[in-house]
Amino acid sequence: MSLATLMSGPLPVRAAVVAGAVSAAAITALYLVRLRRRRVVVSFAPLWLPAAGPRTTTSWARRLRNLLSLLLALAMFGLVLLAAIDPRPAAADRAGRSLVVLIDRSASMSARDGDRTASGTTRLDRARARATEIVDGLGGADRALVASFAADAVAESGFEADAGRLRRAVAAVAPSEEPGDLPRALAFASAILRGRPRPTVVLVSDGAFSDEARRTSPPELDIRYAGVGPPGRPGHNVGIISFAARRLPVDPSAVEAALVVQNFGVRPASVAVDISAGDATVERVRLDLAPGERRRHELPNVFAPDAKLQAKLLPPADDELALDDVAYAVVPPLPHRRILRVGSADLYLDGALLSLGRTVAVDRLTLAAAEAQRAHWSDYDLVVFDGVAPAAPPDQGRFLFLDPHGPGNPFAERGAVRDPVIADVRRDHPLARQLDLSDVNIASARRLALAAGDVTVAGSFGVPLLIARERPGLRIAAVSFDPRQSDLPMRPAFPLLIANALAWAGPKSDDAAIEAPPALLTGASARPREDLPEVAIAHVGFHRVGDMVVAANLSDARESDTATPADLALGGRKLAPPDPPAWRGGIRVGHLALWLALALLLLEWASYHRRWTT
Amino acid sequence: MPPAPAPAGAGPAGDRALGGGRFDERFLRKLESLVMTIRRSRVSDGLLRANRASKRVGAGLEFADHRDYAAGDDLRYLDWNLYGRLGRLALRLFQEEEDLLVEVLVDASGSMGVGSPPKLDLALQIGAALAYVGLANLDRVALSPLGDDQAAALPPARGKGAILPILRFLNGVSAGGQSGLAASVRSFLARRRRHRRGLAIVISDFYDPAGHRAALDLLRHHRLDLVAIQVSAPQELAPDLRGDVELRDVETGETRELTISPAVLAAYRQRHQTLLRDLEGYCRERAIPCFTVASDQPFDAVVLRMFRGGGLLR
Repeated sequence: MSLATLMSGPLPVRAAVVAGAVSAAAITALYLVRLRRRRVVVSFAPLWLPAAGPRTTTSWARRLRNLLSLLLALAMFGLVLLAAIDPRPAAADRAGRSLVVLIDRSASMSARDGDRTASGTTRLDRARARATEIVDGLGGADRALVASFAADAVAESGFEADAGRLRRAVAAVAPSEEPGDLPRALAFASAILRGRPRPTVVLVSDGAFSDEARRTSPPELDIRYAGVGPPGRPGHNVGIISFAARRLPVDPSAVEAALVVQNFGVRPASVAVDISAGDATVERVRLDLAPGERRRHELPNVFAPDAKLQAKLLPPADDELALDDVAYAVVPPLPHRRILRVGSADLYLDGALLSLGRTVAVDRLTLAAAEAQRAHWSDYDLVVFDGVAPAAPPDQGRFLFLDPHGPGNPFAERGAVRDPVIADVRRDHPLARQLDLSDVNIASARRLALAAGDVTVAGSFGVPLLIARERPGLRIAAVSFDPRQSDLPMRPAFPLLIANALAWAGPKSDDAAIEAPPALLTGASARPREDLPEVAIAHVGFHRVGDMVVAANLSDARESDTATPADLALGGRKLAPPDPPAWRGGIRVGHLALWLALALLLLEWASYHRRWTT
Repeated sequence: MPPAPAPAGAGPAGDRALGGGRFDERFLRKLESLVMTIRRSRVSDGLLRANRASKRVGAGLEFADHRDYAAGDDLRYLDWNLYGRLGRLALRLFQEEEDLLVEVLVDASGSMGVGSPPKLDLALQIGAALAYVGLANLDRVALSPLGDDQAAALPPARGKGAILPILRFLNGVSAGGQSGLAASVRSFLARRRRHRRGLAIVISDFYDPAGHRAALDLLRHHRLDLVAIQVSAPQELAPDLRGDVELRDVETGETRELTISPAVLAAYRQRHQTLLRDLEGYCRERAIPCFTVASDQPFDAVVLRMFRGGGLLR
């Protein structure tokens, strides 16, 4: 038995017996040796005589006092040995368990089930208290390690038998804003426990895990579940599940936002969500949510003077989790695009192009000059032929033809129509988005023949006026009349038409429903851009990665659902509760023995000075 | 004050003559200075006279009294004038003049060796000082150590020249044996050749299990005027003992295990005070000068205090 073993935990009984026997013999021998007192020569002993008591030192009273003193000394030593052994009740003293106390510190553990004040008790507080009970109840031969997990698992201590160190490790567990990854945490615990005797994992958690995590078969471990929070209790929480924003492809200066809010409670909830850009609140959305309802709310045109958008939910009074009451989104910067305008000067067209903003660069060339650079047409987001057509129809690129005519007209000309009236408009086509073409007066229009696959976006009784052609690598929009021969340039529809053509023809244009790109999720690693490093986001909010600002949200419905399960089953196996503490009483025998030893020491001191003992 | 003349034997040669030890030239100078101080202060005129009128009626010159004639009386002392006037035969009595015999009795039992310095040192120094005062006044001075182990006493001597033999004698006295104060006094009295009246100065700690009364009564009954000087060591007056000790009686060798507590100390001091008060009460009732001194006091101061306190000599 090494010295380290003797010093690192309770004294083994065998060593205590040996030490007790040797020490008791030594103490008894010392008591048998007569006390040698200091010798003092006095001139007249009778002056001291009355105080000296019985003269003989072998009287029965003296022997009795010696015996009492010896018994006191032996009792004190025995109590100290007992304290060193630190005995526990035999029923709970399970030898050799290796425990990993796995504390859930995921976002849902920040929920306040009962007291919802800011200083109230969170589930993590209760988890720490429960874990402290567990480490205090360890058996004498048990060794435990405290670990915590959210998206990742970390060890808070080494394998210890010292309850004090384990308690400090438990107290050091900090709340996280990440979702919990239970399979990963169990794999971590399994790796730690590999090769250790009687491996046991005590999971201290609220049980808020995904169905996938519950279905996953856990490692071959003895996993116990110490739930926090009332088992089987419904949650009372409304949270923002998703929040995202983007620029409109047809109008990059406009911002669309999408918000998903869910009521995880069992009662209807009326909430408001404030959308703010920078420090200014720009929108307030009021939502009435039925129990369990998830509501998607789109904000088609959000005023966003700042690229940072924040959605803050004003929850009902019984809301239990504050972490999901706020979400963040970053508005992407305006895209830079290039347009080549071919033809003679056209103030109307140039005015419409200017309305696209400074993020659109416009090159102006004559037809001849443009023909000379035909190979570079594909570098432009849009090539506008204004009243002209190239020598040969283009087969690659993105084009807008205004009043096309000539040999390179991609549409065969079949004559002309005077005073056409726009009668049919395909509102669902991206080119017609938000266009109001009613009552547009047109002097004349060319009758253009459509090829297979061409689409008449707007027409006048069978005469196509606005045509869309899509081929692989080719997109052509054509207006069959000269805008200058109409009042279209005088209408707001004209710059919108140019913008729609730019958006439709652009390689990244997407006229589908708004699919808000999700913000980064806490606990996940992501690369915001190809040239930026991969980052792991731990907290909700805005984060700067390189030259880029990104938003991170919890956005995890499972974490926001604060309902606590009655029990926890993993892989179809219900987890058992942890073993009862080794000692439930408030006083440990070892501690009691120390106090008794101290009391005996005081008694011995008093008895010696009162001459009850010698 | 001019330096006192050194007594005979003073100086380095005197040290050698004294054999070193307790008495040296400095001690002798202190003795002479002490005598000069006593003479100047006239604190003891009676002692300074060469002759003293004894109470004994005898062949002196000064008429003292008459008494009735008894058969066998010396007819030369019949007062015929009285017989002529009163018709009664009476003898004329005269005070007999004689020198004073000073008996210095120093307790040299084992208990006198206790203390630092030992009580015996101060006792011998006091004895020497009183002896020298007596010699300087032409008294006869004898010294007798009291104790089981002590040698014979120093016979009476007269004149200041006798101081050196006295000091040499005192140098040889050491503490030892048991007190047995009464027994020692009996032995002393038995050694006296003549039962003359005189002055007995008893210097002792008076630690005697049998008490001091028997010894002092014996001296009184042998017509000796008494002076009692009780010497205690400072640690006997105020012991500084604490805790567990084994007490050993220096004379009897008896041992006693004891735990010294404040209560025990208080009881000891009470008993010690009782012993002293008993001695002082005994002396006061019998008009015996009694002095209590501590052994750490200088002998000359103690002697001067005795003379100035009066009552040492009548």
